Amino acid sequence: MNIELIFQIAGIGILTAIFHTILKQAEKEEYAFIATLAGVSIALLMVVQLLAELLETVKGVFFL
Amino acid sequence: MVGIGLTGTILAVYVKESNKEMAVFISLATGLILFIFALSKMGTVLEVMNELAARAQINMFYLTTVLKIMGIAYIAEFGAQVCKDAGEGSIATKIELAAKILVLALALPIITAILESILRLIPS
Repeated sequence: MNIELIFQIAGIGILTAIFHTILKQAEKEEYAFIATLAGVSIALLMVVQLLAELLETVKGVFFL
Repeated sequence: MVGIGLTGTILAVYVKESNKEMAVFISLATGLILFIFALSKMGTVLEVMNELAARAQINMFYLTTVLKIMGIAYIAEFGAQVCKDAGEGSIATKIELAAKILVLALALPIITAILESILRLIPS
């Protein structure tokens, strides 16, 4: 079981939240937005890989 | 498995107040991990079912159709739940509708077979 992935995504979420706050305090709204976007993209990549694994498993199990 | 679910829930709630999209990702990843785990156990059950069907000499077409319907139902249910969690109830309803139509399309040959055998029973 790769429960580490959940912790990784949670860590990315906390980090991006911190970056967002800091950059907003420094009045760099665009960079704050881009930092959040980057964090979301990284998490999306992780989740999509997991989703592909799930779909492969379902295909194999149910003869789809 | 319960531990994984609880860990994911706690992390999602913790992250939600600062970052809403990440909470969705966390719940999605938790659900996927649990699902993959359950499916790997499901595989052995299905192997036994296949063997029993082969021994009872049931037409394999019916069994594979039932299994396909089960797979579609599983995937659609999962997707709809994720959409509902993210607050998109309408998309979830549409996913369920599409899944129902697909299941109906898969079940259509069996329904026609039943109707044909009924027609054969009626003396014309």
